[in-house]
Amino acid sequence: MNYESIWLVLLFPIVGFLIQAFLGTRIEKMFGRRALGAIAVLPIALSFAVGLMITLSTKGGPEESAKIATFGNWINAANLKIPFEFIVDPLSMTMVLIITGIGALIHLYATGYMSEEKDYARFFTYMNLFIASMLVLVLGANLVLLFVGWEGVGLCSYLLIGFWYKDIANAKAANKAFIVNRIGDWGLTLGLFLIVALLMKTNGMAGDGRFLSYDSMLPALKTGLQQNPGMATAIALLLFVGAAGKSAQFPLYLWLPDAMAGPTPVSALIHAATMVTSGVVLLNRMHIVFEMSPIASAIVCGIGAFTALFAALIAFGQTDIKKVLAYSTVSQLGFMFIACGAGAYWAGMFHVTTHAFFKALLFLGAGAVIHAMGHNQDMRNYGNLRKYLPITFWTMILGTLAICAVGIPGVFGFAGFYSKEAILGGALANTHAQIQGIQVGQIAGWVGLGVAALTSIYMTRLTCLTFLGSEERWRKIPVSHEHDHEDDTHHALDGNHTPKEVSPSMWIPLVVLAILSVGGGFVLANGGAFEKWLYPNELPVLGKISTEPNNIPLALYSTIAAVGGILLGLAFYLKGLPKNQGWNEAEWSPLRRAERDQFGFDRAMTVATVEGGGDIANGLWKWFDVGIVDGIVEGAGKVSGGIGMVLKRWQSGYIRLYALMMLLGFVSFIGYFAFVIKGGH
Amino acid sequence: MNGVPLAAYIGLGMIMFTTGVVGVIIRRNPIVIFMCIELMLNSVNLTFLTFARYQMAARSSDALGMQNSLMAGQMMVIFVMAVAAAEVAVGLGIIMAIYRLRDSVDIDELNLLRG
Amino acid sequence: MNQSIGGVAITPELLLFGAVAGAATLCAIGVVAFNNAIRSALCLVVNFFLLAFLYFTLNAEMLGITQVVVYTGAIMVLFLFVIMLLNLGGLSLLVERRDPKKYLGILLGCGMFVLLGSQLLPQLVSVNAKTLDPEMAKFGGPEAIGRTLFTTYVYPFEAVSILLLIGIVGSIMLAKRRI
Repeated sequence: MNYESIWLVLLFPIVGFLIQAFLGTRIEKMFGRRALGAIAVLPIALSFAVGLMITLSTKGGPEESAKIATFGNWINAANLKIPFEFIVDPLSMTMVLIITGIGALIHLYATGYMSEEKDYARFFTYMNLFIASMLVLVLGANLVLLFVGWEGVGLCSYLLIGFWYKDIANAKAANKAFIVNRIGDWGLTLGLFLIVALLMKTNGMAGDGRFLSYDSMLPALKTGLQQNPGMATAIALLLFVGAAGKSAQFPLYLWLPDAMAGPTPVSALIHAATMVTSGVVLLNRMHIVFEMSPIASAIVCGIGAFTALFAALIAFGQTDIKKVLAYSTVSQLGFMFIACGAGAYWAGMFHVTTHAFFKALLFLGAGAVIHAMGHNQDMRNYGNLRKYLPITFWTMILGTLAICAVGIPGVFGFAGFYSKEAILGGALANTHAQIQGIQVGQIAGWVGLGVAALTSIYMTRLTCLTFLGSEERWRKIPVSHEHDHEDDTHHALDGNHTPKEVSPSMWIPLVVLAILSVGGGFVLANGGAFEKWLYPNELPVLGKISTEPNNIPLALYSTIAAVGGILLGLAFYLKGLPKNQGWNEAEWSPLRRAERDQFGFDRAMTVATVEGGGDIANGLWKWFDVGIVDGIVEGAGKVSGGIGMVLKRWQSGYIRLYALMMLLGFVSFIGYFAFVIKGGH
Repeated sequence: MNGVPLAAYIGLGMIMFTTGVVGVIIRRNPIVIFMCIELMLNSVNLTFLTFARYQMAARSSDALGMQNSLMAGQMMVIFVMAVAAAEVAVGLGIIMAIYRLRDSVDIDELNLLRG
Repeated sequence: MNQSIGGVAITPELLLFGAVAGAATLCAIGVVAFNNAIRSALCLVVNFFLLAFLYFTLNAEMLGITQVVVYTGAIMVLFLFVIMLLNLGGLSLLVERRDPKKYLGILLGCGMFVLLGSQLLPQLVSVNAKTLDPEMAKFGGPEAIGRTLFTTYVYPFEAVSILLLIGIVGSIMLAKRRI
């Protein structure tokens, strides 16, 4: 299929969105939920099919450059031209396949998961719109279209986190996600303006005016940045602020754990597999800027490593199954940024891909558990669920092994094994990310190795508490008879509860994703296929990036980290819930309590920004609004009121007086014309 | 009447109009005020017809232009008469309604518009 | 009779016009001056008749007849009906009070007349009507009016018909006690 049919990929989700939005409830009433679900899944699946055909027809290779399909003009201001153009290259097609492929599976899963939900049509309206926005983000061939998609996914994320908006906590979580994302957007827009300014300055008015289109921008940026090296760091850091906002890097990670308030398929799709990776996509698109600036790369690397460690530690303090996975996502995103900072951009994208497989799987599995356990999300209420949910259990085990990066070096590994290997190798083998001789990249690599071990431990903790152990802890919950069954969607979890395996529409995606989690890494990494496909040429500044450090038996170390972590976790948690992690949180160790509270960071940020900001705003309000603005407004009102009090005496209500006034005016006019104007001649 | 100058007709129209204006201002009886308004309308009608007959509006001396200007004045008068008829019907209805409501039609007591 | 006043030849037509115009002026003043509304109305009727006569002198025969039929025939009857119905004819009802507005109004009215007259009339004294050729003289007849009204002026005509319809409905709404 020709690359110009790329518009089809976009068209299907948009059509799906429009149908859901305007006819959704009607279709639901006339044909039932099954039909509506089919209409929701079908466009995404069709997009995937088209995307796959386009990908297969574009054989990657050094000689093949990115193709751009243009569909008319959008902004045409003086020398700046921004058309509706979509890029077809390995990077965009990788993302298209992830978004539509994983998206279709998650949509399928959601038809089952949300089947008891009232607002079925609204949910799928948002989901389809999200897919469309995400596709615009990755397919847009200039930074402005990317920004359109960027904001679109932000909006959909907001709408979906606040999907159960009647609960104030969910609405607040949605607000938090949106506001924190705005900080990132601020960085991205400033970076965008800076790029335009730089290109206007260095390139002048030359060229066809498509300053922000990748094909003309990236080469121009290279020459422009060589003339102004300082600008590279500035632009790179601003773009990184944008990427950190979307991809939940410290200190902007705050919104992601709260975003778990949304339905679980949303967590899987948006907050694990696709949207949060858009920061990595941005860095891959704009890698030339980061290549030019070792300082910015070092900062990216350092923040990535810190985020990975920080989030992994927090994950130990969480008892909510989705929260553990959320912090795990933040941690894995940190890995991706380590790779991008070190210059191994393809490794970052590789991890995006494999992470999409196994994290979507883990989230969907967690969703299945939550679904089976009457929407109770606390792991302390689970236990021995392998007996009741065999399919979920085995697929989750495979996903856990994938995220723990288990593998036998040189023979076979789960998906995460290859990508994590590439990331750590890239970080340890390169010296690009450094500040004044300090090798931040290498430090990040060692930290990453430690975090890999931590990952294994907390994922084992999750698995053990949920599926293993012989104790069925929800049996201890007393049966409550007062529960009103007015709302059927939320059954109470009590001692009589019997978890049931989920419906086929929910476990089929699990199985597919499990297969991908097991084999995906092996196939993609086979002979460096993924790297050769994504970056067929050497990087323009850094040249060849090695991911195999000399002198360090990395494969051995990481295998030890993964397997050792799992064994350590089993030793701690196989027996069931440890006493010092139970319901009585006073028995918890101080470290674990600190981890539960995100080391006080969230609270501190909330106090500083929300309350401090509130105080500042309050002061401004009192001084400026009440004092000056209200003074002016009310003063104006009082003056006109006073004038009105005087003038109203003339409004006597005597019609004849009005007529007299009219006559007076008329006579005055005639007199004026007759004597003044005519007399002037 | 060929012997009468234009000024005579216009002068009569002005006298009637002035009388009407003065009547509107000095009378308190709304029906008389209405009559004064009719007086003013009629003086305007007279002016229209006069100007039409005296060919003040005709630009050229060709027959069609003259005919058009002759007819235009008369058409205006017809429309004024129709509007006056409608106005009287509604206006007198309003006076009836007010009288029914307040047992008085003194125009000075109808001062709900007082500020 | 070749006398003239101020350059205007005294013709029999002018004398006749003077008599009619004088009567019409008196009637107009009567409308305003009589306290009794019935007398005002009767003055107005006479005034309208005299105007109809003047329309005839301006060759507008059709409109003269319409004036008699519509104004004196219909509108004035309506006035009289309302006066009778409301019993407003009596002197007792609305005795005019002493009011500064009254004198001010008369003063301003006179001012308006003098101003307009002094500006307009001197220029119009010398204008005389042309004698119409026989073909033109028919312009005031029903045929010419009908032809024009239903061709050139058909849209305004329709608009006015709608206005009249609305007037009818409106006056019924206002006049009926309960619908």
